[in-house]
Amino acid sequence: MANNTLEEVSHKEEKKYVFKDPTFDSTKTVNGKKKLWRSLKQITAQERNLPWPENTIYYSSISAPPSFKPSKKYSDISGLIAKYKDPQTSLYYAGHEEFSTVRNLPSDIITGYLTLRGSYNPIG
Amino acid sequence: MSEEVILLKDLKLVPDKYYNYTQALKNSKTPIVIDNGSFTCKAGWATSKTPNLTFKNILARPRKERGKKDGETLIGNDIPNIEAVRFQLKSQFDRNVITQFNVQEQIFDYTFSHLGIDSNGSINHPILMTEPVANPNYSRLLMSELLFECYHVPGICYGIDGLFSYKHNIGKKTGLVINCGHHTTHIIPVIKGTPDLLNTRRIDVGGYHITYYLHKLLQLKYPAHYNAITPSRAEELLYEHGFLAVHYTDMLKKWSDADYYDRNVKRIQLPYSMTVVLTPDQQRDKRREMAKKLVEMNARKRDEKLAEDEEQLQQLLLIQEMIDDGEPIEEVREVLKSHGLKNEKDLRKLISDLQTRIDRAKSKIAASLNASNVEEHVTEEPKLRLFKNKIQLPKEDTISKTWLKDIYKRRQDIIDKKAVRKQRRQDMAKRGTAASLERMRLISQLARKDKRDDDFGSRDEDWDVYKVINKEGGDTDSDEEQEKITELEEIIRFYDPTFVSSNTNEEQNPKEAHQLHFGIERMRCAEVLFQPSMIGCSQGGITDTVEFILKKYNAETANALAENLFLTGGPTKLPGFKERVYRELREMRPLETNINVKLSNSPLLDSWYGAKEFANSGDFHKYLLTPEMYAEHGGDYFIENYCSNMYCPLPEAIQEPEGLSEQNQEI
Repeated sequence: MANNTLEEVSHKEEKKYVFKDPTFDSTKTVNGKKKLWRSLKQITAQERNLPWPENTIYYSSISAPPSFKPSKKYSDISGLIAKYKDPQTSLYYAGHEEFSTVRNLPSDIITGYLTLRGSYNPIG
Repeated sequence: MSEEVILLKDLKLVPDKYYNYTQALKNSKTPIVIDNGSFTCKAGWATSKTPNLTFKNILARPRKERGKKDGETLIGNDIPNIEAVRFQLKSQFDRNVITQFNVQEQIFDYTFSHLGIDSNGSINHPILMTEPVANPNYSRLLMSELLFECYHVPGICYGIDGLFSYKHNIGKKTGLVINCGHHTTHIIPVIKGTPDLLNTRRIDVGGYHITYYLHKLLQLKYPAHYNAITPSRAEELLYEHGFLAVHYTDMLKKWSDADYYDRNVKRIQLPYSMTVVLTPDQQRDKRREMAKKLVEMNARKRDEKLAEDEEQLQQLLLIQEMIDDGEPIEEVREVLKSHGLKNEKDLRKLISDLQTRIDRAKSKIAASLNASNVEEHVTEEPKLRLFKNKIQLPKEDTISKTWLKDIYKRRQDIIDKKAVRKQRRQDMAKRGTAASLERMRLISQLARKDKRDDDFGSRDEDWDVYKVINKEGGDTDSDEEQEKITELEEIIRFYDPTFVSSNTNEEQNPKEAHQLHFGIERMRCAEVLFQPSMIGCSQGGITDTVEFILKKYNAETANALAENLFLTGGPTKLPGFKERVYRELREMRPLETNINVKLSNSPLLDSWYGAKEFANSGDFHKYLLTPEMYAEHGGDYFIENYCSNMYCPLPEAIQEPEGLSEQNQEI
């Protein structure tokens, strides 16, 4: 039984789709090297450097601008509006009940919260 | 108070069926409509009522293992359980743009084969595909190349998903499309039916970020269930119980009230297996039984050994007799040899050894029989286990209060030491404290330049300075210490049943221990769309960006846009989305203006429906990019239509006509 399914699998793997051009090289080997697909970052970086005429758009040109309002601060652990920031862990917290929790958090949880908020700085 | 506990559904995907390639379809040039979203791909014939296929736009490629046959690549709905193959998942998307065209090719294979197409060497149907706003030319070039050169399609038309959805729901009016996708959110103004792409803006936050945020929040809140909280479960929770707060800060104030929290929190039950927890009595019984068995086994072994020894002794005694009887030396030697002995002396020694061994064994058996205190033996066992760390236990009758006090003290010492260390660590984290000032002084002293007669390191004590300047204080909270504390507490509890340990985690029943309290997170996660700063994204939220776009128009057009806001895309299904946009717009717009927010009828599928209508319209063939045009105008060329991107050819100066696709950028 197991053998049977194995055969089926390999049969499926080798299955050639009739509607495809058999000569099309999907791996895109250039000089024996597999083609590396460019990442979006590389693509947009190259795009940005082009001398675009006015009234054209490209990927980076339609990126939304930063917010003009100051960002609100929410407690990292509870999500409530944060009035305080613990200078030691640099976590935001909402009140004294949360403070002891913040202080007793293991370091990986602290970095987890900071990374999630995008303000983890390992240098200190 | 609702104590209702919600069970997770953990829905499994059902594989897509294969459609028949009917004669009618074969002979007609029915277009194939593909809404290629980064979350799901919707594909089907332009003549179908609903998309024939709707599947997650991902594939799972099993890792190649040596000596093993390559597993099958699973695509979309063929993956029964996404979590099982989480690390093998591949997507053709990088954010909202397609970059991995080998994956896209496999997705196309899946799509076309499920549609039943069996024509030889080509797909004889024009393709209408969606693409992101401002899709990079490089990406479009590769897409056209794939479709024309691998599948030999007769024609391609590209359009923007959000605009198709707008056309389907609204038509040709002026309005503002808010298209909330999986990775990005686009806000596209449409002026009298024509999209104004120059004033379109993209926020790099979408449904993916909501689920990711929720996933991580829950994992951090419940580190014990780190592995049980999966992205799929986060997604399920989001769409089952998540919502958008109409007024976020007001809602937060409500949630901070314990009663409100209790009423609105969702208790989610994670699957768990009942581990049989034994009561102390049962444990003791079990231990006793085990010990009994061990004792019995030992006794049996001893008996066997004894019998063996006795037999050997019998034989040896026989030999001794032979010698004493004056048998011929040759024979005696032979017999001795067969027993592995050299001479008479050895024989005597062995006999005496055996005799003492047998005597000892016999006395032991007698003792254990006499005492028959198996019970006592057993009860003593757990105590004995405690003493691997060499804590001296006095004899039962001499347990005095002083001894117990000593144990208490030792426990307290370790706890104090830990506290001191914690305090030190806290002090070190701050700059102004005496501890860190002292540390800085030492460091600067060590780094001093003029070390004429530097004999640092010649004495062993010199090296201790590194312990002092180490931020951790040279040593950390070791497991060993924790072990010692538990051991000491064990002893104390043995003699003082009233003692309560410092770190007993409250014994919860496993059912409750496996519950997630899904409270503020219900609205907190989706809030990232309106406040991207919550996940460290510097861009403005949806309303900020709407405001930014409206300001680019004169008052009249801005009013017309605000009068017709249109929401589409998966996350807009969340309850409260429409009301939230309305409220924020109301606060922002002049008082006398009208604001209307309309939610797409089917936020997930309307793009496909809109695209289908376009493919069925009479002038669809006019917008088709043919292989001839592709060859003539270059790979990134396409024909604009009223739902498409603008064609912006790459500026001449640096244009690389063929080089683009050939270049193999090294990373």
